[in-house]
Amino acid sequence: MIGKLSLNAFVALVAAFLVLPILAIVPVAFSAQSFIRLPPETWSLRWWSAFFGDASWRLTLLASLKVAALTTFISVLAGTAAALGIARSGPRGRALLTALFLGPVVTPAIVLAVALYSMARATGLVGTLTALVVAHTMLALPFVVLNVGVSLDGLDRRLLLAAEGLGAGSFHVFRTVTLPLIAPGVVGGAVFAFVTSFDEVVLSIFLAGPTVKTLPVRIWEEIRLEYTPVVAVGATVMLALALGAAGANRLLTRK
Amino acid sequence: MSTVRFAGISKSFGAVCALAPTDLDIPQGEFLTLLGPSGSGKTTLLNICAGYLAPSAGRLVVGGRDITSLPPRQRNMGMVFQSYALFPHMSVAENVAYGLTVRRLARDEIAKRVADVLHMTRLDGYGHRAIRELSGGQQQRVALARAMVIQPDILLMDEPLGALDRQLRKEVQFEIRRLHAARPRTTIYVTHDQEEALVMSDRIAVMRAGRIVQIGSGTDLYARPVDTFVARFLGESNLLAGTVDSIGGGRATLSVPGFAQPLDGRAADGLRIGAAACALLRPEAVRAQAGGLLAQVTERVYLGELVAVRLTLAGGIELWSRRLASEWSGRDGVEIGWDASAISILPDASIGS
Repeated sequence: MIGKLSLNAFVALVAAFLVLPILAIVPVAFSAQSFIRLPPETWSLRWWSAFFGDASWRLTLLASLKVAALTTFISVLAGTAAALGIARSGPRGRALLTALFLGPVVTPAIVLAVALYSMARATGLVGTLTALVVAHTMLALPFVVLNVGVSLDGLDRRLLLAAEGLGAGSFHVFRTVTLPLIAPGVVGGAVFAFVTSFDEVVLSIFLAGPTVKTLPVRIWEEIRLEYTPVVAVGATVMLALALGAAGANRLLTRK
Repeated sequence: MSTVRFAGISKSFGAVCALAPTDLDIPQGEFLTLLGPSGSGKTTLLNICAGYLAPSAGRLVVGGRDITSLPPRQRNMGMVFQSYALFPHMSVAENVAYGLTVRRLARDEIAKRVADVLHMTRLDGYGHRAIRELSGGQQQRVALARAMVIQPDILLMDEPLGALDRQLRKEVQFEIRRLHAARPRTTIYVTHDQEEALVMSDRIAVMRAGRIVQIGSGTDLYARPVDTFVARFLGESNLLAGTVDSIGGGRATLSVPGFAQPLDGRAADGLRIGAAACALLRPEAVRAQAGGLLAQVTERVYLGELVAVRLTLAGGIELWSRRLASEWSGRDGVEIGWDASAISILPDASIGS
């Protein structure tokens, strides 16, 4: 009894440790004061109007959404194709290709950032949307490859043979059998790709410029200048989008 | 609908030979069963016919046309998989209609054909059901309907009843038999179940280690097996090992230790005088006979209308008999016999090849 109680208490503590710092930012966004303090003494939406009333904040949010959308689109197309190719290759090619595609995830972000920055400088792409999308795609693609790969592993190959035997060409088989059955993996991969891009900071700090800046980069810059609750609004917006994406994933892939 | 000819078809995977060069002719409308244990090459042969496997050598000719290198989608064959391979994200009707949609038939034509085949397979009213809502037997029938609705030249079935329980298996066997009789279509059926083979087939090809050992009607195979492997695979058998004494006029005699007289029987091919062989005596031929050999009943197994009895002869030889239950009731000491025509002398398949 006591054992069970203390176990529950411990689990609650761990959960609080994980979640509270994240949730603490939310009330700050509704503070009426000009500085960040927990808990806020008076409440208002003034920082929300400051956030959405400021064109520069709106632009960064828009840039973030644009980069994330493009990254997701490219990652899903290329990642699904890659996963299909990996699934078809032999055991050795499979191990090699998987390692190759997962490489960017295990590479330290700062190493990747320095490498990409030097290349972006050489090609004059620093501060462009293209640079951000390319960099984010490198990080997001592996998640699509992984998610779609898991779905493909669970796909019964005899279904494809059956479809082929009934007269379907390979593209028709893909469209009517493979794709609908791996859709949960594709959707999951897309959500991961979107979220990965949306909250990416390290590469973005290197590659963003005065005209193209994502929300996390702007928050980071803002914190260094002045520490006001408008930062908390930006963070809350990001949190809401991440939760929304996770929720959409659950809804779309529910059986 | 078409004749099928396998001409020297073989298949190796690396150094492993899955199918030795095989010749096989299947006439139009025949129901042929490939019967054998797992690893005997029967599924390999079926997959080569469907186009899922390319043969290492040989040609496959259907209706006079060489289709060896034709992809599966152009072969117009209907395949029923052991696992059914129904599309889980489609309804029953969508599954059945798949092959017709691919063929770009008109919508109402598709609806009509789907309704017809669902009626034929007793699935009326199930069109809108999801696959996972169906029982195993119903899924099996959907798989059959999906394969038949495209009016295939050849129907291929790979152990389609393996996942069903015994009672259901019997029902579906008769169902398939009924459907085949109503509309004979060249059919190749793969199974390791002798009863299935006997119930449905026009001819049975018994396979072993990548070869067709014997092909013929069920009656042929049961009455005149070419060796002990076929004898064991179809039906129950008493096999008595001995040495061939004489061969001649389609008959042979076999000395069996424990029998005073050599056993005389129909000779199969491949016997040599002085070589080891077996005498086949089917259990239903072993009966009580006054003045026959003395035997002790050492075990009785009731099988309903029949009883299986283990008889131990004077020399320690054991024979099984399967007769009507009344025949072996009573005493344990009995006199037994059999008709001379009941014995076949067969080469022993377990020796050499």
